[in-house]
This record gives sequence, C-alpha cells and structure tokens, in this order.
Amino acid sequence: MSVVARNRVRISGAPQGRPMLFAHGFGCDQAMWRHVAPAFETDHRVVLFDHVGSGGSDLSAYDPVRYGSLRGYADDVVEICRELDLTDVVLVGHSVSAMIGVLAVRAAPELFGALVMVGPSPRYVDDGDYTGGFSRADIAGLLDSLDANHLGWSAAMAPVIMGNPGQPELAEELTNSFCRTDPDIARQFARVTFLSDNRADLAGVAVPTLVLQCSEDAIAPEVVGRYVHAQVPGSTFVQLAATGHCPHLSAPDETVAAIRGWLSVPAGRTRA
Amino acid sequence: MDDASRREPVELTRLLEDDPADLYENAPCGYLSMLPGGRIVKVNRTFVEWSGRTAEELLGASFPDLLTVGGRVFHETHVAPLLRMQGAVREIALDLELPDGTALPCLVNAVELRDDAGAPLLVRATLFETTSRRRYERALLAAQRAAAEAEARSRGLHQAVSELAAAVSVHDVAATLVERGRAAVGAVGGAVWLLPAETPAGRRAGRRPGRLVAQSGISPALRSQLERLGGWGARLVRPGGVRVVPLGPDLERAEPGLAAVMAAERVDALVLVPVAAEGRPRGLLLLVRPADGDGELISLTEPGTAADLAAADAELLRTLGRQAGQALERVWLYEETARQAARSAFLLDAARLMAAAAGVTETVERLAVLAVPRLADLCVIDLLTEHGWTRPAARHADPARQHLADRLREVHLPTSGGAHPSVQAADSGRTVWVREVSEGWMTRIAQDERHLAVVRELELAGLVAVPLMAEGRLMGVLTLGAGRQRGSFTAADVEVAEQLALQVSQVVDKAQRLELETRTSHTLQANLLPPAPPPVPGLQVAVRYVAASQGADVGGDFYDVVPLPADGTVALAVGDVVGHDITAAAVMGQLRSVHRVLLADRPSPSAIIDRFQAGWALLGLQRMATALFGSLDPATGQLRLSSAGHLSPLLVTAEGAEYLDVRPSRMLGAPPAPAPAAEWAGVLPVGATLVLFTDGLVESRSADIDEGLAALRAVALAHLGAGPDELCDRLLSELTGSHRADDVALLALARV
Repeated sequence: MSVVARNRVRISGAPQGRPMLFAHGFGCDQAMWRHVAPAFETDHRVVLFDHVGSGGSDLSAYDPVRYGSLRGYADDVVEICRELDLTDVVLVGHSVSAMIGVLAVRAAPELFGALVMVGPSPRYVDDGDYTGGFSRADIAGLLDSLDANHLGWSAAMAPVIMGNPGQPELAEELTNSFCRTDPDIARQFARVTFLSDNRADLAGVAVPTLVLQCSEDAIAPEVVGRYVHAQVPGSTFVQLAATGHCPHLSAPDETVAAIRGWLSVPAGRTRA
Repeated sequence: MDDASRREPVELTRLLEDDPADLYENAPCGYLSMLPGGRIVKVNRTFVEWSGRTAEELLGASFPDLLTVGGRVFHETHVAPLLRMQGAVREIALDLELPDGTALPCLVNAVELRDDAGAPLLVRATLFETTSRRRYERALLAAQRAAAEAEARSRGLHQAVSELAAAVSVHDVAATLVERGRAAVGAVGGAVWLLPAETPAGRRAGRRPGRLVAQSGISPALRSQLERLGGWGARLVRPGGVRVVPLGPDLERAEPGLAAVMAAERVDALVLVPVAAEGRPRGLLLLVRPADGDGELISLTEPGTAADLAAADAELLRTLGRQAGQALERVWLYEETARQAARSAFLLDAARLMAAAAGVTETVERLAVLAVPRLADLCVIDLLTEHGWTRPAARHADPARQHLADRLREVHLPTSGGAHPSVQAADSGRTVWVREVSEGWMTRIAQDERHLAVVRELELAGLVAVPLMAEGRLMGVLTLGAGRQRGSFTAADVEVAEQLALQVSQVVDKAQRLELETRTSHTLQANLLPPAPPPVPGLQVAVRYVAASQGADVGGDFYDVVPLPADGTVALAVGDVVGHDITAAAVMGQLRSVHRVLLADRPSPSAIIDRFQAGWALLGLQRMATALFGSLDPATGQLRLSSAGHLSPLLVTAEGAEYLDVRPSRMLGAPPAPAPAAEWAGVLPVGATLVLFTDGLVESRSADIDEGLAALRAVALAHLGAGPDELCDRLLSELTGSHRADDVALLALARV
C-alpha cells in the first residue's frame, strides 16, 4: 500500500513552497497541529501525517518488529519524503517525534534542510549524572495508566475509530477520538517512546536545528532541553512562555512565531 | 394516605430546594475548576476531602501535580490536547497521589469553557472515585494477560513437542531446544551441551565433559567463558530444576571473568535448564537473557536486580528439558541402529578391500582411507617389522587436518614402555579404550613437546588402540581417534575396531609371509644363476636376468655361457623351468649344474638333450623345463643348436633379423621321445648377433606369443648395428613394462 495511505498523509499550502513536515508525538495524532500548520500554508508546502498505529493510519501496517524501535518510525518519515519527492524539508517533530526526526535526518541527510524539536527528550529515564526526569517505576506507572484508559477500547469499534475514508465525520464524533488507538499498539509505542535512549544520536544531526522548550513541562523539563541543545551541534535554543508539553495547542501563536522567527534567520533558512 | 406519606413531599421539597452551594460543596463527586494551564481556581469540599489536603493547599496548585507520574504524563499527552481539540473528555482514568503516598483511582470528565473567539477560559472537571472498580479492572486485565501468556506458552510447548517428535538427529533435537527455549523466555542466545549417549558408570554428572551440539546468539567471548567453566559450564550446573544465575555481586565474586563478559554484552542472567530423561541427566540448555527483554530499549528492571523467571516460564522450560531428554533417547536409539548398519557395511567393505590387497603398505594405506571418516576421524597404523616400528598409514578425515596426521608420522612412533595407548596396546596385547581426552592425559601420553602440540591440535574426544596379532605374534597396532564433533567411541565402535584389527592382522600376516618367501626365492635364484660370463676372444656377450615384478613370483629361468678350453668352442644354454616358485628356482639350479657336468664330455647340443631325457628320472626333478642348448666356435662361426621345447633364437645380421628354424624336440622331463633330438647347424657370420631368450620376453597377459615374437624382431630391426649390451637393454625396455608376469632370461652373442 502507498505510504500516503499508510500514514494518512495530508498535503496543503503552497505547492512550490519549502516543504514543512509536521510529526506528532506520543498520545494523539496530526490533529495536534491544527492551530500551527495552517499558519505556514501561505508560503510552505505543509505535510501532515499520522504515525503507524496512531490516528487514521493503517493499523494493519503495524509491525511490532519494525516499530520496536524509533528507527522504524524514522524510516517512515524518510519514505514519506521520498514518496512525495520532498527535499530541503523543514521537519517539525513534537516530543518523541523530535527524536524520530533526529534519526530520520541522520538516515537521509540529503532530504532535510532544518529540524525543529518541540519538547524533545533523548532519554526519559534518569541515568547516573543524566537527568531525564523519570525513574523506571514512573514509566511502569505510565504503562499502568495507559492500561486503565484503554479498557473502553472495543475491537469492534476499531474500524470506525481508526477512520472510515467514506465517512470521516463519523470518526470525529467519537469521544477522545484523536487519541484513541489499539491498546497493545499504544502500550508498545509508549515503551518505545519512554524507554529509548538516543543521546548518542544527537551529535550526528547535521542540519540547522531549533530546540523549542516549554515552561513547566512535566514530560520534557528544561534541563533536558538544554542538554539536547548542548549536544546538537550549532542548534538554537528558544524558551517559550507556554506551559505544559503541547505548546502547539496551548500557545500556537507563540509556537508559530518562534519557528517563523528562526526560519527567517540565515541559519534556519538554508541548509548547513 | 397516612401521616408519613403526607410529610414526605414537604421534606423532599426542602431538600430539593436546598442551597445550590451546598449541592456543589457536598456533591457525591469531586468538582474542580482550573485555568487552561491546569491551575486550580475552585474545588468542592468532596474533592478536598478525597485529596487529603486543605482547600488552601489546593487553590492555586496545578492539577496535574496532584496526579501520579503516570497520570501526569497521560494528562499532558492525552487529556490536555483533547480538551483543546474537542472541548471535552469523558471517562478518563487518573490517579490522585495522596499526601501519604497512596493513589486514589478516579474517573474524570471535563469540559473546556471558551470565549467567543474560541480561546480557552476555564476547565471544569468532575471526578468519581473508582477504587474497587479499578481493582476489579486490574484483576480482569491481569487475568486476561495471564490467559494470553498461558496460551502462548501452551502454543510454544505444543510446537516444541511436535518439532521434537519430528526430530531425527541429535542435532535436530538440540536445535529445537535452543530455539524454543529462546522463544519461551525472550532469550537473546541459547546453547545445548549434551553428554555422550553412553556414559561410564559411577561418574558424577557434573564432571563429565559435554559436547556443544547447537547454539545461536552466543558470542564467542561468552562461549569461551562457559567452555572454560568445565566444558559446558559444569561448575554452574547443580542437580535440580531450572536455575537462574543473575549477573550480580555473587557471580562477580565467584566468576569474575564470566561476569565481566556478561556485563559487557548487557546480559542480565543465564538460565540453566537440565536436559534429562527418566531422571538421568543428558545435558544442559543454557539461555542468555538480555538486560532487558526488548532489544535496545531501556529495561524497566533496575540494573543488577534481574527479575526471577516467572514460575510458569520455569515450569515450561523444565518440561521442555524433559521432552528433549526423551526425544534424545529415541533419536539415540534410532541413530544407534543406523550406526550398526553402517558398521556392518564398513566391515564388509574393509574385507573386500583386503581381499583385493597387493602389498602390506598399500593395504594399510587404503584401509586407513576407508576408516576415516566412516569409523573414526583419525586412523594410524603402526607395524612392527624386522627393522623395528614403522608407521605406514596416518589419515585424518578432515583434509584441513591431514597435516597433523602427517606430523604424527614424524614426531611419534610407539616405543616400548610409554604411556601412549598404542604402546600400551602393543605391550599388553589388549585393546586400550580412552573414553575421555583431557589436558592432563595428553601431557601424560605425549612423547615430547612437539608431539603434545599435535595431539592438542587434533582435538580428540576419545581414542582406541587395538594390537594387531596373529598366532600370538605382535605385528602392529591400529589406533583410531574420534574428534569432538563425533564424540567418544562407544562399545560398539570398539568392537568394530577389534574386528577390523583382526582382519588387518590376517592380511598383514599373510602378506608378510609371502614377502619373506619372495625375498628368499629371489635370493636363491640370484645365487643359482651364473656370474657374468667370462670374456671370450672373438665374441661379445651380454646376459640379462629380470625377475617377475608381482608378488612372490620367482622364476625358473636360466642361462649359461661356458667357454670350453679343450677346443675353444663356447657352450650356450637358455632354459625355463615350469612354475614360479622356490621349487622352480631350485630345479633350475640343478639343471644348470648337471649341464656343466655334461659339458666335460663335450657332447653336441642334441646329445645334451638326449642325456637329460635319459637321466631325468635319476635326477628326481619334479618340474619339466624347456631349454635351448648350443655350441659356437668363435673362430669359425660354426654354430649348432638343439631345442627341448624352447623358443628358437633370433639371428640379427646387417641385412635383417630372422628366427632360426631349430626344430624342437620334447620338453625336458616329458615322456621320452621316440627319436633323438634334432640339431640345427650353421654359421654365425662375423658382425651377426644371436639372441636367445625365454618366453617372459615375448609373452604377456595382453598379447599372444606370435605378436610377441614379431615385436621382438621389430625391435631388433629397429636397432640393427647395436652391440649385444645395447640390444639387450632396448629389448627389455621396449618389450617389457613395469608389470612383468614372468621372469626374463636374455642372452645375446655377437661375433667380432
């Protein structure tokens, strides 16, 4: 099946504009970008997609081995760019997708021109001197939390929830629909998200990189953002006033402004 | 209508008209209002009570901070985004973290209030305590997962059992065990060591060397650590069930080398599963558990606190070990039957080979080739000859290791009194069976450092040395070695080796006797032939005698050239006694002696034949013979010839070559002829050469005598003018090959 259908790729904006690819994080789907992506449609070719296993992606494409590490997701990002014949892409990744972006840029540096990392963390679990913000027990608690919230999942509803091409409006009506998925996939994605360690990959990012750091982010604290900034060569660090982990929803204007501001300076506009 | 029912509407009305504030504060659920960022701006009393905090503490606090870490992450990744995107969330399970550290499970519904532009103003949430419901749900989920795991285990075991049932080799069984064992506990690697099928009684299980039969996913470094621990990690194995050896202080103290490799390879624990049948240990399955069960992801287990194996997993592995043990018993039985058939076939082939044998050396060489790899990996045959020990054969099954067998021929030979099994077998006259090859043993039996190096490199698992005896006489030793892959020899293998040694002994004995007889015959014959003829004025004489090439054959061919001093003539004789053995040689010697005695009377050639015929009975000779006698006067060339059933000589002149028409009378020893022997008389011209010969020169298995005679004449024609010596050499080289079935006597005389 095509990559476009597999990842429910949505393209909008200026066809000749510099491509911007928005990658959602753990939890919901591409709808997370609803207040940010449109702001770039005037001068960018905007590409949204769902990670396999999330939102309206093709659940049957979920392969526990391929998606057993972030590399599988990064390969998907590269495949989307190749399928759409995108180059000089501005890859905007939120949360875990910031790390997926790091891996994608490393795997196919020729495709990407800039990387925007929103609330990144290369490793959530504390490790010696490194502070990730979480203990192993915390992550185990998170997995329990996911279990508790997936009891309402019904396999019979899955086709409806995962999007029916003929009746998109049906999916929209369902409660919590943007963040629902198969519990086993969600659990595995949570494991891959919170139990990966990509610190060693940061130094290999060879495109201009922007680190967007929220205030009072319970998931990716400032110390982690600073760490990422220190490790990615030549990266720019921007502290947002927005609180929480999802500035693109809680403070879309500030988020757009930060990205636009960075893209407009030479380092972010052109390839390294 | 009674009083009570009349009062009821009044109280109901009062309750229903209650203060809305009271309804809010004391509602049977928690209410709270917060700003879009999560800051609490209003809470009801119910929530305050549940939260275990005061209203003052709660107001201004961040709602996500009241949640467990898991709940906080879920709030950030799911609840907050959903509120923004769809304005409401329903039935979200979140746990409040109470000040005493306990969690209060709640279900949360929330709505986001927005201004006209859609910007968020406030979030209102209701919370319902769901402690017992959550407990029930957890139990349900746990049961569901346990059922799924049990089903997966059962499926895995079922598949393993059917694969084991289909296994037809020990390797199949071991490979199945490794793969199923790995799958059962998510191990990154596994290996199976097996004990020999036949184990000597009275030895402790933990001490016997095992054989690594199958492995996957085990690094060379880890494997060498395990090998070091007694072949198959024997020191880690204790009787009993499945054991987990975690990487931790205990292991670091006891086995620092192993612990270091495990740490470097992020191995968390080794799982040891006994392979047993009917309670008898058969081997060991070793599984390597990674620091986390999930490839490159961070383990949820704290480092150094390897989680124990789940009881059900341990039970599954124990069952797998038992099933594999039983499959091994069956496969061993099957393989033993197949081996028995192979042994019988091998002995039959060996018997055929030896029946067709030529010489001792060739026989043992071919036998060694046959023995590897069908019976052993290494075959060495030592023979005791009159010159001492020799090692005519040393073969290795693996061409890459043949050089080691060759080196054995250089660096080691049995010498009396050593500890080497071949020496012990030779000294004691009994089979020596070495069931276990250890470093100590190798050091003990090695002759010197060079020998020890070769023995080590051979990597043998077992050895058997069988003396070669015939009629109580030691003739040599057959030594067979089994490589580690093959494993030590079984009693049945040893029996085959002994049967083979018996066959070899008989062949060697027979061949040695035959060789002795051959050598004796040839020595005798050489002594019976005359020395080189004396120089005769006017003549050039060349003689040749070539023995048959095969086996113990010895001929009764002879020649003689005797100058007679009285009249200057020369007596000639060429003959051939029937048979190829020592008797023929003896008869030939007697004939030559009698011929010389007869020459004292200077009889004519035909008279010599007549006298032999007349006195044959008196001589008491047991064999008949053909012979050609002649007399030649070198001065005049006068030549007289007479034949007793012998081939006519060839006369070679400058013009050509032709056989003289000497009419043969009966063979010497045949019933007496009615008439005296005929005689040919003529002249041998100056420059001509007379060639006298026996049938060995012109007869062969592939050509009849007429062809041989024609060939002889052709060779002579091709070399007209050659002297007698050169002519003899040409004839021999062109008419006889390296394989001569018969002796050849050749006499050439040229008048000069």
